[in-house]
Amino acid sequence: MPAIDQISEALVRENITRAVSNVFKTMLGRPASLHRSGGSAGTEPLPRVVTPQVVGTVGFVGEASGLIYLYLDENFAKQCTGHVLGMSEYEMRSAGEDVVNDAIGEMTNMVAGSFKSALCDAGYPCKLAIPSILRGHNFCIERLSSALRHVYHFECGEHSVIADLIVKSCD
Amino acid sequence: MRKKILTVDDSKTVRIIVRKAFKQFDCQILEAANGVEGLSVAAKDLPDLILLDITMPVMDGVETLTRLKSDPHLRGIPVMMLTAEGGKENVLKIAKIGVRDYIVKPFKEDLLIEKANRIIDLKPLADGPVKQRSILDAADILVVDDKPAIVQQIHDGLKHTPWKIHGASSQAEALEFCGRQAPDLIIASLALPEGGAFELFRLVRANPKTKYTPVFALVVKTEALAQQQAQQAGFTYIVTKPIDLGELEARMAKAMNLDTSQRYFSMDGDLLVIRLPENCSPAVLTELSVYLQTKLADAVDSGYSKVVFDLLAVKALHMGIIKALLQAMQACRELALQFALVANPQVVDGCKEFEDTRGWTFYESFDDAKANLSKAVAVA
Repeated sequence: MPAIDQISEALVRENITRAVSNVFKTMLGRPASLHRSGGSAGTEPLPRVVTPQVVGTVGFVGEASGLIYLYLDENFAKQCTGHVLGMSEYEMRSAGEDVVNDAIGEMTNMVAGSFKSALCDAGYPCKLAIPSILRGHNFCIERLSSALRHVYHFECGEHSVIADLIVKSCD
Repeated sequence: MRKKILTVDDSKTVRIIVRKAFKQFDCQILEAANGVEGLSVAAKDLPDLILLDITMPVMDGVETLTRLKSDPHLRGIPVMMLTAEGGKENVLKIAKIGVRDYIVKPFKEDLLIEKANRIIDLKPLADGPVKQRSILDAADILVVDDKPAIVQQIHDGLKHTPWKIHGASSQAEALEFCGRQAPDLIIASLALPEGGAFELFRLVRANPKTKYTPVFALVVKTEALAQQQAQQAGFTYIVTKPIDLGELEARMAKAMNLDTSQRYFSMDGDLLVIRLPENCSPAVLTELSVYLQTKLADAVDSGYSKVVFDLLAVKALHMGIIKALLQAMQACRELALQFALVANPQVVDGCKEFEDTRGWTFYESFDDAKANLSKAVAVA
């Protein structure tokens, strides 16, 4: 089995790009395309986001372990939820934040599921955790010093989506 | 009976998507947020299909599936996995435990419906209370033939109906139409290249939105083998060329389960009018007699007491018409309905030839019959 450190950035980029594009195209009917990537093995943190964000996060544990964060600004998260669930703006307001959290959690789960399947097929069997949601603004998530980080910026229409992957090195 | 589909998923989003996807079908959606709840609902409601997620809190999908398959009461329920994890190893693992199918998230609602329909018989949901459509209602008819003249012939022959004839010159074009809107009836030429009509028929039946749509095969009268193949495939009816448009119209109405009584029965003021068409074929007379008792009873129930038999359009009198009229007149007498006959000179002359009809009184016009009936009621 290859060491986790040997997972190439190209493999990560290719699979996360495919996963994000597929989820946004299938669930929202609009493609998300990779705009730029950054981070990698360095210590560079994710740029601080100042606008209100809804961040879906799903962990994976096994031969490869880590976390996938999917950042959407709050308004776009609401739009995505409305589209996926076929709900009007009024219905969305009545349903509250939980429905947005659940929808973004599920979209992150789909992205993570697709990425995880690629890891498994590449020889890193792992399991997914239950999705969770972070909300807030003006924050940044830092990685463990022993972890690798890959940050990918996607464009979906006029909105941006950030996929932030933190992959733990083998012990 | 209404199908029950149980969705077991910790994501409310997926449960809402499932509910939305099946909204247009006659089925009940049951929900559970984890395996424990799912097993409990399954035992209580015995669903026809379970859609099961894998990664869930409390009890995951793999354990839920294992328990389902070890329970003699639940093991027969088909399970379809809905999972975000589509890796080979994962798929092999769930296949071994025994799932009928699986869908990897993200998925389109159409795919979910298509796969569910392969396992259970999904019936489209009727809009509101079921009301039988009538011959006066609009309907979309799709004629699939690469010869525009045939499409035009059907279009022209049915232009007196409220039906809209849509032409498609190929199987692909027909499928594209069906994707946009489900037609009420399809007529497909068996002469389409490469068995296109048979493939179209198969795909139409596989699509839950069109699986109950009547599909007629169109074929030249002498092509017995093609007719036999179409019959075996399950086409609703075989239309032979040259097309008898009158017969085609009657068959289409029957296939679409239309109420055709308006062809023969109508209300005019305080009268029930029973109108016989130009061509009173045995099929027409049978159809008329099917509606007769109900229509007369409805008329009495609504306070009508007079009936006019309108034979002005009838071209040729024959024994079938006489028998039908004798039956209708007897039914009127039993319900104390007064009646009068209006007919053209040919029918009047024809009736003089028969013992049973020689004494019938005819009026030349509808207004004469109406006036006479009013006079008779006034005298009574």
